Amino acid sequence: MLRSIYLKTLRDYRVAILGWGIGMGLVVIAPMASVAALVTTPQAREQLVSLAASFAWNADPIHVDTIGGYATFKIGFFVFLIVIWPLLVGSRMLRGEEDRGSMDVLLSLPRPRLNVAIEKLAAMWTALFVMGVLIGLLAFAGGSKFGGDFGLGGGLLYGLNLALISAVFGSLALFISQFTQERGPAAGSAAGLLVFFIVLDMVHRVVPNTEWISRLSPIYYYNLSKPLIPSYGTNAAGMLFQLALAAILGGAAIWLFVRRDVGGTVPLPRWLRLPERQASRALPVGDWSLGSVYARSMGMIAMPTFWWTLGIAALAAFMVYAVQLLETKMSTLLSGSPAFSTLIKNVGGGDASVNAGFLSAMLFFLPLGLMAFAVTQVNGWSADEQDGRLELVLTTPQSRIAVMFGRFAALATATVVISVVTLLASAASAAAAGLKVDEGNLAAAILGMIPLGLLIAAFGYLASGWLRTAADTGLLSFVLAAWFFISFIGPELKLPDATLRLSAFYYYGTPLLHGLPVTSVVGVLVVAAVALGLGALRFANKDIGV
Amino acid sequence: MAAIIEVDNLTKSYGGKRGIADVSFSVEEGEVFGFLGPNGAGKTTTIRLLMALLHADSGSAHIAGRDCWKDSQEIKRLTGYMPGEPALDPNLTGGQILEYFAHLRGGVDHAYLQQLIQRFDLDTSRKFRQYSTGNKRKVVLIQAFMHRPRLLILDEPTSGLDPLNQQEFDHMVKEASDEGRTVFLSSHVLSEVEKTCTRVGIIRDGSLVRIGDVAEVKAIKRYEITITFANPVPPETFKSLDGVIEVETLNHDHGVRLAMQGPADAVIKAASQYQVVSLTSYEPSLEDIFLRYYEADPAPAKEAQGVA
Repeated sequence: MLRSIYLKTLRDYRVAILGWGIGMGLVVIAPMASVAALVTTPQAREQLVSLAASFAWNADPIHVDTIGGYATFKIGFFVFLIVIWPLLVGSRMLRGEEDRGSMDVLLSLPRPRLNVAIEKLAAMWTALFVMGVLIGLLAFAGGSKFGGDFGLGGGLLYGLNLALISAVFGSLALFISQFTQERGPAAGSAAGLLVFFIVLDMVHRVVPNTEWISRLSPIYYYNLSKPLIPSYGTNAAGMLFQLALAAILGGAAIWLFVRRDVGGTVPLPRWLRLPERQASRALPVGDWSLGSVYARSMGMIAMPTFWWTLGIAALAAFMVYAVQLLETKMSTLLSGSPAFSTLIKNVGGGDASVNAGFLSAMLFFLPLGLMAFAVTQVNGWSADEQDGRLELVLTTPQSRIAVMFGRFAALATATVVISVVTLLASAASAAAAGLKVDEGNLAAAILGMIPLGLLIAAFGYLASGWLRTAADTGLLSFVLAAWFFISFIGPELKLPDATLRLSAFYYYGTPLLHGLPVTSVVGVLVVAAVALGLGALRFANKDIGV
Repeated sequence: MAAIIEVDNLTKSYGGKRGIADVSFSVEEGEVFGFLGPNGAGKTTTIRLLMALLHADSGSAHIAGRDCWKDSQEIKRLTGYMPGEPALDPNLTGGQILEYFAHLRGGVDHAYLQQLIQRFDLDTSRKFRQYSTGNKRKVVLIQAFMHRPRLLILDEPTSGLDPLNQQEFDHMVKEASDEGRTVFLSSHVLSEVEKTCTRVGIIRDGSLVRIGDVAEVKAIKRYEITITFANPVPPETFKSLDGVIEVETLNHDHGVRLAMQGPADAVIKAASQYQVVSLTSYEPSLEDIFLRYYEADPAPAKEAQGVA
């Protein structure tokens, strides 16, 4: 496996291929298991169809009363989860090697630069293809087990479609990394574009006569194919478009790479460049961000906080707006659909007003977003330690605990800022759309995310005492995904209450309907504090940089 | 003079892999101490233990009478540290890094800091990632000196510096020493240790193999004498003389090269019996002494991954 760059890179991906391939395959199977329970009677089947239609803003509700249709509809929510891996890999494929300096060595070999880049890109695409095959096989196995009406070909085409959309975003991240000095901003920008394209694809489902807008999103072409629904089938043009887009983006990235300096960037057009600051040799004596570990950490987190705030606040404002648009339709459905009421209860909770009930269900995504932000920041902390960037700081007269708490305090501040801005954006959107919601409960729902963000961050700081960066981030991502599935799908699967209690979302409750569950929130904060305390104890006593 | 660094049977392993074992030495206040060893010998492990970045398995390390682990915060107030492989936030400029560390140290004399920047001709407006290796090392070197610490612990400080900056570094070490401050530096560039240090410790495979004054270490030297004669001289003349280890004939018995250890009196007297054209003596550098310590066991040291 070490005979070529292609094979070596593929070897590096072997754990991810198995992990993501099997993991995402299981994600596809999970909703299949619950279909039988949802269509026990013709009435229930009809209600499921009506219910899914109400969530059409997020995914196409095609034959949702079938195994394949329901799985396709459900996975529509989670395409962003599947695309995370290629997005990270694409951003570090070349830029990461340049950051580490290993690209210099690689390019000193008697091998054209073009070949090096092509082999690496080919390895990523191969990995995605193998993952797609694994997902397809597992989807087929799940369909066979639960009575699906699609065959092996349908399963494999479904996996291939996922592999193609993953290749598009992996190649997009690779392309963006040609313009950034580090891999982090490339991954962040590509993730921002992913969210943007997902929202763009949603537009035509919410606002009539806007399909032309959604056509600008690659996600639209991914959604054209539904191979798990035999009567709907595969849209070859859509898949070919994705393939072409991935090839164009990947090809453009490689074209730029072979022409630029190693370690340098492709200059952006003048109108896209940030204004250049006049370099000064004078010491920045008055710079607020250099005064302490906390201030420095705030300086580091400021830009990611800005972008995440923009994304989360915009999503919240969009959801509030979408609820207002769908209000009339929902009122009709709710009066005649017990299944819809059940789902609203499962996810959004209670049977209060339509607005609050549906909005509560939709706002479920916001704490997930905030926690994902916290995971990225824990990743930064862990990477700083692993890469030796904490070493010099720890040789100054700062205690290790003060350094760790300074960093955590900056993250806590950022979560508060994101939540407050999101609250303001939601309130403004509700006011603009004329949507009536309990303002106190809206504040509780959005500010109640903060303890969840702190909890996952504290777990991450604790785990980083033993785990390396990749393992720490992987573990946190797994925990976050597990919590989300337990709370989002668990009630449908009739999971026991003890299992539902394993998820942090359980303790978040349904604050938009019932206000802040103070006891639960305090409990979450206490667990976070204990985890952080244990993490600090570990950090204060561990070997640094080993 | 009191010892500022006291290390006693210090031991550290990384899992099953060797770090250092039973290392003991002390450094007097005001001296410049060189810590020598090849890659993987345990220099950096020892330094990281002194800086409380690692926790010792056994033994003790004290700086200014305080335990390096338990009292690390107090110790760091009087210490300036330069790591072997500087890793800093790549997005900060050199100036921002120095200002940040000045704050973390509770403030520094900015006039002195500016003076250091000028001495090394460092462009503080560039981002750390844009610096060359040498300029990166200048940044961390300046941050180690900028608060005029009582003790400087420097891990291979001149690695990557050009000769002019190495010279400037030598001056700064001398100034620190003249002011009564202590310098503990590791190196495998022995000529610089020879220039700047008063005492030397040599570490090999995680164990300290020798410690002493630079002159004392050099006293165990094996040196060479080359003598050229007007007429052929039989090499047997020198073979059994005191101090002679090896004899090599040159120019068809018109010269000899003698490997020596100890006084050369017998050789000089024997040579004076013949017509001598020239006589040269070659004094070994520490490199030669150093190599001698390793030539007995050429097997590479078993090194823990990622640490030196």
